[in-house]
Amino acid sequence: MATGTTMSTDQPALEEETGDSWWGSLLRRSFGRSFWGFVIFAIVSATACYVVVGAQAFDEAVESDIAMVLRTVPRIIAAMLVAGMIWVMLPRDRLTSMIGGESGFMGLVIAATAGVITPGGPSAAFSLLAVLGAAGADRGAMVAYLASWSMLGIQRIIVWDVPMMGAEFSLTRFLVSLPLPILAGLIARMLPMKLALVDPGADKVHKR
Amino acid sequence: MSVGILILYGMAGILMALALSRRDDTFRLGLRRALEQFLILAPRMFCALIAAGFVAKLIPGDFIARYLGSEAGMTAVLIAAATGITIPAGPVIAFSIAAVFAQAGASVPALIAFITSWSIFAAHRIFIYEIPLLGLSFLRLRLVAVGVTPIVAGVIGIVIGWFFTLPLGTGP
Repeated sequence: MATGTTMSTDQPALEEETGDSWWGSLLRRSFGRSFWGFVIFAIVSATACYVVVGAQAFDEAVESDIAMVLRTVPRIIAAMLVAGMIWVMLPRDRLTSMIGGESGFMGLVIAATAGVITPGGPSAAFSLLAVLGAAGADRGAMVAYLASWSMLGIQRIIVWDVPMMGAEFSLTRFLVSLPLPILAGLIARMLPMKLALVDPGADKVHKR
Repeated sequence: MSVGILILYGMAGILMALALSRRDDTFRLGLRRALEQFLILAPRMFCALIAAGFVAKLIPGDFIARYLGSEAGMTAVLIAAATGITIPAGPVIAFSIAAVFAQAGASVPALIAFITSWSIFAAHRIFIYEIPLLGLSFLRLRLVAVGVTPIVAGVIGIVIGWFFTLPLGTGP
């Protein structure tokens, strides 16, 4: 089982490095090239907003941006703590047999169900998915999990969908979307695409 | 303080207590991993959040709403699905736009396609979380795999509408 063997090498890799070199390599990665891509993206969109929609919309956007950052940072901290602790304590062998490469159709169903009930916003879902991926989850299960969390996540339906769109519409949408994460997972398994997961905590790549 | 963040901190607390109760390196390693991921993620996330607020202002919601009526059928579903891709913002903005569409008379299949499309493509999540945490190759695979789902959802909505009266999306 290929996934089983790659799995055992996934222990935190930087354990040997301590002190300055650990901090140095970490900071180099956190302000690496892709970070500057994000900076440019932010500047371009801010300029476009000011030029196209005007100064008032720009001010409103700045206000909502500040609120958004203040709202998100505490969530990220909590989500990273959850993901970090799960990462070290998760029984990876058991997980691989549940949603690994040989888990078949049931693996997709389990992943989709997990997506529906995962509480919290994207900070929680994506960091959990990164843990699952590094632990050997199959590509179909990963896609099904994320599709299911984003389309059918029960917390967002209760907090946003029902109050804004009405219970009947929300239920209709839920039922219509129910088979789609499984469909997406099946498609992902059939696609002849390479998958190499990055691992921001360990500075390496998990080939799948 | 929302329920979501309380649950998240509750989970973090329970997991940290569990890790500590093992009385070995578990807690320290978990904390270290959390710190590593946070430091990689936080700077990118900050920029992406800022960008998302500006891009959201650039979307002409009222204009698009005119093309989403039930008489437009499949076309409305396609336009709605394409619009959903362009909303780089969280549920507050996405559902407000959906409500604008609903009040302007958008069909239920179009609304379903819009929300489905937004929920799976939401560009801010891609930039803030998916690329830093999982990488471009996962993003590519996922986008190809889920690409058809908003349209499939809209089509299922249209077909159901032939047999049942679909409930209207109500405004806020």
